[in-house]
Amino acid sequence: MNDWISIPLVAFPLIASMVLLAFVANGTERMRQRLVGPIRMACLVFSLIMLVITTGMFFQFFGSVSWMNIAFNDYEYQFTYSWIESLGIHWAVGLDALSFPMVWLTTFLLPVTIIATWNEKSGATYFPLLLMMGGALIGVFVSLDLFMFYVFWELTLIPMFFLILKWGGKDRKYASQKFFIYTFTASVIMLLGLITLYFLQDPNTLNYSGTMTGRSFSIPELIDNASDNNLGDNWYLGAKMQKILFVMLMIGFLVKLPAVPFHTWLPDAHVQAPTGGSMLLAGVMLKMGAYGMFRLPISLFPHALYHFQLALMIIGMVSLVWGAIVCLGQTNLKKMVAYSSVSHMGVILIGIATMQPMGWAAALFMMFAHGIISPMLFAVCGAFKHHYHSMEIGAMRGMARHSPWLATSMMFGWMASLGLPLLAGFVAEIMMLIALWHMISIDGWSIWWMVGPALVLALTAAYYLWSMQRTIFEGGEHGQPPANMVGKPIPDISDSEKFAMLILAFFTILFGIMPWIGLDMMDDWTKQFFEGLIKFVGKGGA
Amino acid sequence: MKQIEPFAEGFIAALCPELILFAGLIALIILPNLGKGTFRIPGTQKRVMWLLGGDRFRVTSNPKLPAWIATVTLFAAFIQTMLSFQDGVDRTAIVTESGKQLMLVNGFSRVFELIFFGALTLAAFASMNRLEVRGVGPNLSNDDLYNNRRQADFYILMLTCGLGMSVVALAQDLFVLFIGLELASFSTYVLVAFYKETKVGTEAGMKYFIVGSVASGVGLYGLSMLYLWAGSLQFDALADQFVISGAEPLPLIAMGFVLVGFGFKVSAAPFHFAAPDAYAGASSPVAGILATASKAMGVIGLLRMLLIVAAPEASEDGTVWLTLLGILSIITMTWGNIAALGSTNPKRMLAYSSVAHAGYMLAAITAIGAWNWDESLAGDGGEAAIAVLTALIFHLIVLVAFKLGAFLVLSILESDGDASRLSSLGGLAKREPFLAVAMFIFMISLAGVPPLAGFVSKLLVIMGIVKVAVGEIGAEIVAGGELGLADVHWVWWLALAMVINSAISMYYYLRIGVVMFFDEAEAGREGPLPSGWQVRFAVFACLMATLFLGVASDKLLQICEVAAQSLNYDWK
Repeated sequence: MNDWISIPLVAFPLIASMVLLAFVANGTERMRQRLVGPIRMACLVFSLIMLVITTGMFFQFFGSVSWMNIAFNDYEYQFTYSWIESLGIHWAVGLDALSFPMVWLTTFLLPVTIIATWNEKSGATYFPLLLMMGGALIGVFVSLDLFMFYVFWELTLIPMFFLILKWGGKDRKYASQKFFIYTFTASVIMLLGLITLYFLQDPNTLNYSGTMTGRSFSIPELIDNASDNNLGDNWYLGAKMQKILFVMLMIGFLVKLPAVPFHTWLPDAHVQAPTGGSMLLAGVMLKMGAYGMFRLPISLFPHALYHFQLALMIIGMVSLVWGAIVCLGQTNLKKMVAYSSVSHMGVILIGIATMQPMGWAAALFMMFAHGIISPMLFAVCGAFKHHYHSMEIGAMRGMARHSPWLATSMMFGWMASLGLPLLAGFVAEIMMLIALWHMISIDGWSIWWMVGPALVLALTAAYYLWSMQRTIFEGGEHGQPPANMVGKPIPDISDSEKFAMLILAFFTILFGIMPWIGLDMMDDWTKQFFEGLIKFVGKGGA
Repeated sequence: MKQIEPFAEGFIAALCPELILFAGLIALIILPNLGKGTFRIPGTQKRVMWLLGGDRFRVTSNPKLPAWIATVTLFAAFIQTMLSFQDGVDRTAIVTESGKQLMLVNGFSRVFELIFFGALTLAAFASMNRLEVRGVGPNLSNDDLYNNRRQADFYILMLTCGLGMSVVALAQDLFVLFIGLELASFSTYVLVAFYKETKVGTEAGMKYFIVGSVASGVGLYGLSMLYLWAGSLQFDALADQFVISGAEPLPLIAMGFVLVGFGFKVSAAPFHFAAPDAYAGASSPVAGILATASKAMGVIGLLRMLLIVAAPEASEDGTVWLTLLGILSIITMTWGNIAALGSTNPKRMLAYSSVAHAGYMLAAITAIGAWNWDESLAGDGGEAAIAVLTALIFHLIVLVAFKLGAFLVLSILESDGDASRLSSLGGLAKREPFLAVAMFIFMISLAGVPPLAGFVSKLLVIMGIVKVAVGEIGAEIVAGGELGLADVHWVWWLALAMVINSAISMYYYLRIGVVMFFDEAEAGREGPLPSGWQVRFAVFACLMATLFLGVASDKLLQICEVAAQSLNYDWK
């Protein structure tokens, strides 16, 4: 098998975008104006090529393979090259059913984002930054080496920082710095945890160890070691150490997710970020947190996960309910959508905390479904801002009368996000509810844990329907345009935006009525994963 | 080990880089004075051309000549050092007739010389655009002539500075080390005061001189006490004596005094107060030297004193120093970062960030000491200590790339007017995108964002500290031991302090980026920046090093490991 990951999916977009940026930065203003078209086209073509590669991988392998035959901690398309030998650092890539949907999602969202924000200002630097973002995100998902993982984890911050700083709203300066510092602080704590873990490994069992340190950064080896030692009541690294490391790693991932109370960077970043930045931020970047949880702390420390199950469940519930309650009070459309993301990330956390294979599969599918739905929500918000120069709910009413396309897209996105059956979000939510029931009936948790999700179902419907009522409907015969646009012709969304909305809507429906396309591999993989981990932990499987 | 007396056979080969510097120094004094001068033979009317003085030749009157001589000399010394890099086994000692070691050429000293010469080469090269040149030719006014003459002074000081520093790197005797330290220090005092275009330059030089000479005086006093105690200033002799009677108050107090002198050089708290003023008052390339080469020189002093002299294995009294050093490191890094948060002068901010980095280095030295002093950790065969030392050396090397690079960018802004306000960086992205991008990369490299060199160096230091802290615990855990953070050696908390401090520092580093990319330029400064390819080339070199050493650090790491081992080789 050829290495279709390292160069085409990770190195190429990063290098190409840097070359484009360096080229553009040294040019004159006029040249930059003239180059927007070709650069945009080049970025679109690059991202489409990446999409073709990942889709090809799906048809060649991931769509057809029987996942039950693939054991826990096995990776496909796995390639390892030596990088910094003295420290045991390798360029190691590989895919499994956890990372592949995320990689496909990134390559799918990249062209959609480029199309949806086709006319963004200063395009000559904007589109390369999007491409760079894509390369860094894919790097996070494919890396099988802790060092490489951390490098890409932090690298995603840089293009996003510039996207917010240069194309953002009024408070972009504050928001971009808050975003960067907040997540950086969390990740350095995670880094210290990773390094401590690195040195706690037994040097005698490693194949890829560094010449200077005698330890290895390889994730598969780490997981192998951990699962060899997580037998029965025996905790890998001992109970005390495992708990400490679990908490240190989780801090990094919970902030990225984000979970209440670490979520305050998200609304600021989202509201100030440009549409394209928001789409990638909500679509893929938040999922890095959930992905990291599965890849590292959960795989390595199942005992600690079991130990902290209640804490995670409480954080998840609070995120879910608090996010929804805050949504009710928002007057800014984008802020509402941002808080609804917090609420949906709560669903992922609850899915993990159920400790049921079904719940973990629900979390995986939620990552995927939210990755398709939330970009649509932010595309709608972006179109709002772009065409009506206002994001206040209620500043304009009766949009359906003059902008049927935007109204329809908004309605569709909102419905998908609140979990309408036959759309992608519903599948994940219903799976989470079933897993929660499992937990209550099998593991004997209190029935009161159902109150939160039940309440949120109603709250979610309330804030979405309410905001729709006040923007799409009402407003009399001709609608009520925003104050700054009275008397002017009110345009509907542009053709490129329409196209992007249609694609997103199509896939939302596709994964709503045929969820097994993605769900099958997640489901089977989760079962394997769960058995690989949990059979040794005292609790036992579902 | 080869032992060579001064000027014996092999001496030139062993000290080639230093001799190149010396030759350059002489050339720098003579060449600009070559002219059509004549000499009247006494008692006759006959005049003989003797080439010194008088109307200068075209070439020798060129005010850029000293800069080129200095740059070429330093670069040649740099290349020669690289070629003559020695590993731990193949080393050469310069001894007196009675066999006392004065200097030792090994991997450790060569690596530090690489740092010194590299930083000085870049600074000298970049200064070509920095020192004002007011025309070339025979018909200059006296003022202009005088102004051009001072070019030579500046570069002579650069070379003496490099010479002093390399003596510090080579020294095996505290007195030799002190001579080198003072040679380099005095050169830097004058270099700081050389920035005559502003009022602050002289003041900064004065301040730096007074505080520096007090620190040197205290150090010298400590030195004399050490001599009183041991009867020798040789490192070997001191170390032997320390094993016998290191616990007495006299050597401990003396060590404390000596460390004050070096603490000032690395600008560790509480001896850092002169640093921000000196950095802010000096011209930027000079400030860059203070922050990189001069600091590396101080680190050599600390390493020699703490690791060779005062580190006999398992001495109880060592732990006193260890705790003190650990506390000082936390105070230094936190103080530096908090003070940098509030400063609005980019040069002061970089000075405080340099203080913070001194704190990180002290933490690393503490970790080396912890391995050496703590019996429970001593089983690792020196491996952990080597790892930290490697990390420390790597950190000092890459610091040259991004710290000096940042100062060089400020230097261009200084020639445009000034760089003493945050707003003077405003609109740099529009004025010159290359410089803005380079500055941003230097900043996030200082903060430690991957995949840049600053990240790798910080990661290595943290890794080294954690390795020392974890020590044998890994094996115990594998054996089924139930251990928590309380069982990890306390230097682990230094790593946590470093990590949290990196997060704090992110704020002020990012702020520079925000100002450059977001704010408008100051009124009247919208135009393009003054030209000068040399300084831009130097910035470019720093940028490439920052990027390249982050992604492909393997080779350099091995060099650093050799250097670390060669220090170890001598102290075992």
